[in-house]
Amino acid sequence: MTRSIVLRGAVVVALVTAGVIVWRLRATPDERAITGRLETLRTEINASTRDGFGTAARATQIGSYFTDDAVVELGKGSPPISGRDTLMGMVARLQPRTAAFRLDLDDVSVEVLPGGDGADVLLTASFVRRSISTGEESLDAHEYALVMTKAGGLWRIARITAIDTLH
Amino acid sequence: MSTEHSSVELDSPADLTRRLVFGRHPRRTAVRILVLATLSFVIFHWVLIPIRAEGISMEPTYRSGSLKFVNRLAYQRRKPDRGDIVAIKLAGPHVLYVKRIIGLPGERISIAQGQVFINGAPLEEPYVRNRRPWDVMEVTLTAREYFVIGDNRGMRAADHDFGRADVSRILGKVIF
Repeated sequence: MTRSIVLRGAVVVALVTAGVIVWRLRATPDERAITGRLETLRTEINASTRDGFGTAARATQIGSYFTDDAVVELGKGSPPISGRDTLMGMVARLQPRTAAFRLDLDDVSVEVLPGGDGADVLLTASFVRRSISTGEESLDAHEYALVMTKAGGLWRIARITAIDTLH
Repeated sequence: MSTEHSSVELDSPADLTRRLVFGRHPRRTAVRILVLATLSFVIFHWVLIPIRAEGISMEPTYRSGSLKFVNRLAYQRRKPDRGDIVAIKLAGPHVLYVKRIIGLPGERISIAQGQVFINGAPLEEPYVRNRRPWDVMEVTLTAREYFVIGDNRGMRAADHDFGRADVSRILGKVIF
C-alpha cells in the first residue's frame, strides 16, 4: 500500500467521522426552539434581582415558561408543586436565596411527540453554589424529565419530574 | 587561476516561517493535523473521557477539583467489580456521579452504624477514613444493579448521593 493511499484513507475516515458528528448533532426547528427556551429560562433564573428587575416581576417572567397547570415533582418525600401561581409564589420567596446559586443545564435531549404539540425532555440540572467564606464551589446535580407543550407557537413546561439516578 | 565558490541559496524569512508552520510538505502536514485532531476527538470523546471531580463525596480518594479520566472500554471484556470507582451518567455524559462499587448484582446490602454488610457479612473498606453512623435498610440488588457509594462517609447521609445504579448507567471506570 502506498503512502498516498494511506493518507487518502485517513482523510476519508476523518471526513466520515465529521459527517457522523454533524448528523448526530442536527436538530429540528422544534428541538432548537425547546432548547433555546430552556436556555433563556436558565438565564432568567440565574439573573440577579439586582439587575433592576423586581422580585415579583422576575417570578412572573419565570412563570411564563410554565403552563397554568404545571406540576413540579421534586421526589424524595417533597410534595408536588401544582399550578403556575404556586410556583411563582415559591420563586418569589426563594429569589434572594437562589440569587446565590448558578443553574446549569446539560445533556438536554428532546423528543418531539407525534403531532408536534408536545415533547419529552431529559436533562441534567446542576446547582452550583459558591461559599462566601471559602469561595469554593459545590455542585448538586440531578436528572429531570420534563413534559413540554406548545400553545400559540410557544413551548411551555407542563411537568417536571425528578429522576432518582441512584435509588 | 580560477577559484570556485559554492553558492547556497538562502530562504527568505517568509519562506522560513512558512516552512516552520506548514513543514516541507504542507499537504501532508494538513493531513497529519486532521488525523491527529480526529484521533484526539474520538479518543477523548468516546474512549478516555476527561472529567473534573467536583464535591467532597469521594474524599479522601479524590479531592474536589482533581482531573480524572473515564475509561469507557474498561467493561467491554469484564464486568464491573467491587472496589472499582465508576462514572455514573445522569441524563448524559457531561455531568457524572463518581462513586465506588460496593455491591454486585444479586447481593444483599445494608449499612448499620456506618458499617456496610454484604449478604450479612461486614465489608472491609480501607479507603474509608471517617464514618458517621449511617443506617440503610437491607436491599437486594437485581441482576442489572450495582450498589455505589462515595468514600466520604464522614458526611451526613442526606447530603450524599448513593444507592442502586442500573448497569446501563455505568459509563466506565475512573482511572488515574
